[in-house]
Amino acid sequence: MNEPILEAGAVEQGTSLWKDAWIRLRRNRLAVFGLVVLVSFVILALLTPWIAPYAYDDQNLDLGATPPSAAHWLGTDIFGRDLLTQILYGGRISLAVGFVATAVALLIGVTWGAVAGYVGGRVDAVMMRLVDILYALPFMIFIVLLMVVFGRNLLLLFLAIGAVEWLTMARIMRGQVQTLRQQEFVEAAVSLGLSPATIIWRHLVPNALGPIIVYTTLTIPSVMLLEAFLSFLGLGVQPPQTSWGLLISYGAETMEEYPWLLIFPGAALTLTLFALNFLGDGLRDALDVRGSTD
Amino acid sequence: MRSFICKLLTPLILLLLVGCSAGESNVSQGNREGILHFGNGSEPQGLDPHVVTGVPESKLIDALYEGLTRKNPWTLEPEPGAAASWTFSEDRRVITFKLQPEGRWSNGDPVTAHDFVWSWRRALDPAMGNLYAYMLYPVKNAEAYATGKLQDPEQLGVRALDDHTLEVTLVEPTPYFLQLLDHYSTFAVPRQVIEQFGEATDRFTRWTRPGNIITNGPFRLTEWKLNRRIVVEKNPHYWDAEAVQLNGVVFYPTENLVSEERMFRVNQLHYTNDVPLDKIPAYRAMPDSPFVEAPYLGTYFYLLNTERPPLDDVRVRKALSLAVDRAKLARSVMHDLVTPAWSITPPGTLGYQPPKLFGYEPERARALLAEAGYPGGEGWPGLELIYNTSESHRKVAVALQQMWKDVLGIEVTLSNQEWKVYLDSVSEMNFDMARRGWIGDYVDPNNFLDLYLSDGGNNNTGFSDPVYDEMILERAPQAKTREERFRIFHAAETRLMEEMPIIPVYTYASKHLKHPSVKGLPPNLMDFVNFKTIRLEPVDVHEFEVP
Repeated sequence: MNEPILEAGAVEQGTSLWKDAWIRLRRNRLAVFGLVVLVSFVILALLTPWIAPYAYDDQNLDLGATPPSAAHWLGTDIFGRDLLTQILYGGRISLAVGFVATAVALLIGVTWGAVAGYVGGRVDAVMMRLVDILYALPFMIFIVLLMVVFGRNLLLLFLAIGAVEWLTMARIMRGQVQTLRQQEFVEAAVSLGLSPATIIWRHLVPNALGPIIVYTTLTIPSVMLLEAFLSFLGLGVQPPQTSWGLLISYGAETMEEYPWLLIFPGAALTLTLFALNFLGDGLRDALDVRGSTD
Repeated sequence: MRSFICKLLTPLILLLLVGCSAGESNVSQGNREGILHFGNGSEPQGLDPHVVTGVPESKLIDALYEGLTRKNPWTLEPEPGAAASWTFSEDRRVITFKLQPEGRWSNGDPVTAHDFVWSWRRALDPAMGNLYAYMLYPVKNAEAYATGKLQDPEQLGVRALDDHTLEVTLVEPTPYFLQLLDHYSTFAVPRQVIEQFGEATDRFTRWTRPGNIITNGPFRLTEWKLNRRIVVEKNPHYWDAEAVQLNGVVFYPTENLVSEERMFRVNQLHYTNDVPLDKIPAYRAMPDSPFVEAPYLGTYFYLLNTERPPLDDVRVRKALSLAVDRAKLARSVMHDLVTPAWSITPPGTLGYQPPKLFGYEPERARALLAEAGYPGGEGWPGLELIYNTSESHRKVAVALQQMWKDVLGIEVTLSNQEWKVYLDSVSEMNFDMARRGWIGDYVDPNNFLDLYLSDGGNNNTGFSDPVYDEMILERAPQAKTREERFRIFHAAETRLMEEMPIIPVYTYASKHLKHPSVKGLPPNLMDFVNFKTIRLEPVDVHEFEVP
């Protein structure tokens, strides 16, 4: 942000970081749009079992694939299943994978990177070499191995994806922490006798939030795509359960005959990804501590 | 993440490049150079005729090797292959084959009767673990040798009288025996190369790699790029090389039907292995359509593991089978391409009609399930259905999954597996329920019924009935007339279907897209491709416009 948003007096009143950010976020229209879209998708996903017009596995083979109509707003697939219902149920899985796996990645990555960056020295070297080694592993093989060893279930799928997505997050966090810990406010905190854990969580992490949030909003869509890919290989969600990624991959098979089977799930995913990107941009600007104190 | 996006985008970009660029397409280049570009379904499990069991493998092996006979693709009659001629003894139990005097391996060595004797011993060796060993059971002592009851291979009914004369002694006069000789489990394999890379009975050694392998068929292997392509070229040492019109064949693993169809449309393939179900109506409506459909001697069914609960209860197996509305499946999911199947043998195989013991009977299915202790699906422990990755298998599985849920109130979970993994799971009986297709290796009901012999390598269900074994192995071969033989088959098949170790779903139809320049590749009941008779007569089709 170029212009100072808060008046000089406001800083002295001591608004919290979060309140500050919220005020700035609200002024960013695109970010608000993103937030509204996301929140409504999440609400729809939560309410799906009550609002879906049909049961998600309700087939009508004689009906087959039909274009959108009054009975089926978004049409039906080749089994005569209502596409709107499929998208609603698919959204539950896709959003859950997106958020849970990203949260796992965030938790591991931020902690790992912050500790490595703060402690430095030999610990840092060892921790980051481990990250390098994991990077070198073909991640698909890693996920496939996890799924094969522990069997197939949805929660594990979330964790497995999270467990391979944290590496970049750790690197970004380490870089941020390394620059931040040279600064005076960290030295001040150290001289006040705060424990390293407190310093990391109270001082370093909030200051590194910008890049982390941007990267998070990028991770969510990539995780959703990864889930679709795994499901396609038979390692993720299996029919009749579905996800947006699966709906799109099935829709692409028949896009010439039944285009609506690709268009609507594609639109749902695209809209979510846009919303995430706008929100991510807005959050980064809103949370940029340095920008606000100018 | 990048690798995933690449995986997704690369084929699309390639397709765009290929579709738009002025560069020469596979088809026009192939037409010019005499190279056939052939969609072959899955990546083959291997090229050892005594190891593999699948259809994609059979296409490759038919191009590379040659049995004593070779089928005519129009009539399916056995014609001279590695054997130039044969004579039957009076009682039709001894056949004397004269091998081609000019028969040669692809390195120029002669193909001798000793090669066949050695190969048949290998095919039957219990240590080989050949799932198709029973194809040779009509040969004297073959069964005893393959099951370990007889140790001495000299007693097998196959002898080399001299380098070019092979004598085969049968247990019974077997009407379809000459057809068996065009099946890869009876082919000769190169002893010298196999022994160079391990024991005779080692599976998956390096002998089948390009550079190592030598074969006696019309083509020889030049390149094998895993999951990309397998290239064979004309074998100059083949005895009938002059009759071979193609200079080579490129086999593509085309597991994804949609990509395969797109490759065909932009002239990257001469011939597809399959056609996506949803495209069939459009192709049927096309004038001068490249779409070829034909009845196919094969049955699509689900294997039930009768050794695992709850499928160890015949009532549960019947309930599952009776709850499947086959007519509806054939009509709506399969676009009327296939016909419902009620038993293992395709109807009309040599005029034989299999028994039809049941129909779509939801009421009776529910009653049977209730009797077995799961009224309305209560207390159902769950089942997993495995299938090899393919859109059409998935569609059938999803439709049946729902029928079981609607009719019986039970949950069946689905799990797709890659072809080789799937084949392993099936042969190790590591499944509850598994999708299975059986394609006739020769035109005779016996080919379907001997699957369920107690020790049959392709039984995979745990079904075992000594009476059934006796009918198929003893009584049917001794039958005096075809009618009597078929009556025995009918009785045996009735016994089989009363135990329901499988759920028959439909009788196959073969479907392909064939470029108009491809000649000498007629549709036939066995979907048999004789690469020897195929020729290319260039016809220019810029791109196929599907209405």
